[in-house]
Amino acid sequence: MRPLLPIAVVAALPALPFVNNYILAATVRALIFIALGQAWNIVAGIGGQLSLGHGVFLGLGCYVTGILFNELGVPPWIGVWAGALVALTVALVMGSMTLRMRGVFFALATVAVSLAFDQLARHYVDLTGGDNGLALKFLGNSLWALQSRSPAPFVYAGLVFVVLYYWITQRILASRFGLEMRAVRDDEIAAAAAGVRVFRTKLLGFLVSAAMTALAGGLYMQFYQAIDPESAFGLGQAIQLQLPALIGGLGTAMGPIIGGALMIVVSEATNWGATKLGLIGVDILVYGLVLLIVVLWAPQGIVGVLSRGRQR
Amino acid sequence: MSGFEAALVPVGQALLSGILVGGVYGLLSIGFSLAFGVMRIVNFAHGDLVMYGMYVGVVSATFGIDPLYAIPFSFLLMALLGAAQYQLVYRRFVGFATLQQLLAAIGLGLVLQMLAQVIFGADTRSAPSMFGSQYLLIGPLFISAAQVVAFIVAVIATIAVEALLLGTHWGRTVRAVADDIEAAELVGLSSQFINISAFALACGLAGIAGTIMVTYYPTDPSKGLSLMPIAIIATTIGGLGSIRGSFLGGIFCGMVQQLTAMLWNSALQDVPLYVLLLFFIAYRPTGMFGFRTE
Repeated sequence: MRPLLPIAVVAALPALPFVNNYILAATVRALIFIALGQAWNIVAGIGGQLSLGHGVFLGLGCYVTGILFNELGVPPWIGVWAGALVALTVALVMGSMTLRMRGVFFALATVAVSLAFDQLARHYVDLTGGDNGLALKFLGNSLWALQSRSPAPFVYAGLVFVVLYYWITQRILASRFGLEMRAVRDDEIAAAAAGVRVFRTKLLGFLVSAAMTALAGGLYMQFYQAIDPESAFGLGQAIQLQLPALIGGLGTAMGPIIGGALMIVVSEATNWGATKLGLIGVDILVYGLVLLIVVLWAPQGIVGVLSRGRQR
Repeated sequence: MSGFEAALVPVGQALLSGILVGGVYGLLSIGFSLAFGVMRIVNFAHGDLVMYGMYVGVVSATFGIDPLYAIPFSFLLMALLGAAQYQLVYRRFVGFATLQQLLAAIGLGLVLQMLAQVIFGADTRSAPSMFGSQYLLIGPLFISAAQVVAFIVAVIATIAVEALLLGTHWGRTVRAVADDIEAAELVGLSSQFINISAFALACGLAGIAGTIMVTYYPTDPSKGLSLMPIAIIATTIGGLGSIRGSFLGGIFCGMVQQLTAMLWNSALQDVPLYVLLLFFIAYRPTGMFGFRTE
């Protein structure tokens, strides 16, 4: 049972004596990053539809959960489902308008939708807090509000997400639906000729991915306690969401996990180096370079490189 | 003046400023459209070249040279940068706008933006031209002289590109490669040279657009990215790959923006454009002037 070992290691982290809150928080960030990457991987990696708008679903998950909690006192474990429902509705409208066309138009449309949400979130200050963003009312340690002063509980929550999403990805890959998605990704016309309902397959993949992103958004909101338009709908966030799957290996179940874990190490290191040097935005520069390098020289990601090595 | 006419003045004002701003949007869109039309390259870093064009204006202004005189230099510099980009990144993606190509362009855009931040700093910079603070009065309508000059430059550049594509041997070869790259190679054209030169031209146009834009619109390293939605929308509405369509699409975007700002809210001036984009993609993906279905 190989997968049990890393799960056990992460689960044991909070109990280990030398592990401080900094390491725990970085672990949670990695787990959230991985879960979001796993969700994006469904539509982009398996389905081949480049969504640059998954920040919308992350943002909706965060904002809906947060607003329902702050304004109406709805606990996040209910609110997050409302967030997922709103995200599904938006994805349904977006998808049914743009997924009939080939990839480029879909990608461009998702950018436009993110930017529209960005402007709306900045404008409706009463609801969203505008540019400053929305901060959760903090109640201290509370199971009802899913809040905690220590990052330790979020390690477990994040772990549940990652394991669950890994399982979902495996199930999709092994199913007829996953086969159809990959057929559409590799050759739409051939897939249609073979009887795959192309539009329906693309839309379904997009919906699953959007809902998964919004649910992980609920975890994001509970851990960070705040969301703002830039971190939700900005292009920087959209790109961050793609990196785990791209670096690890598009369309594989292990890819986002390996890529996300690696990226968090790189991003912590560059942020540490950047603060030392007094430079801002170095992490973005690194993301851009990594994106270029992966796309140009290792389009199959780490999983691809490793399996190529094994075949030799 | 009757009450009705008085009510029309702000609308006329919005439309007029929209057309002027939109001309420059059009110019930055035709470069984006050209790269797509000829090579099927969606250059997400196009806006960043516009941003570098804006900084060319800023740098020349700090040396006491009017940004308008820097336009030819800006064109050449961005054309060279574009050729280098093509060789390093886009060459391998010619012919199909794939997921990988879009991602590469996004990565390239991020790198360009952050380099600009390292070189020029994150502050907002401006570079007024000799027409900087002059205003013209046409009846009850105000217009900025800098915007009129920018509009004229944009129109001239657009006409020049159309003339180049329709009237010269080079333009015919570009269109041949765009139509059918294999057939063009069979009759002895070098698609490699044609693609580089067309891509360089597209990027040079981004340089011109940036340099004229900075005479009335301040810049910072993130401006490039923030201009991309306009280029995308103008090009989609006008028709991906169509030069005059993209130009008119730009003017249309400018007018919608200004009207929205006047009638609704300037903070939400782009929202109707995003909605329009969705409708065009859903119901008329070839745009108003597009000649190809993707």
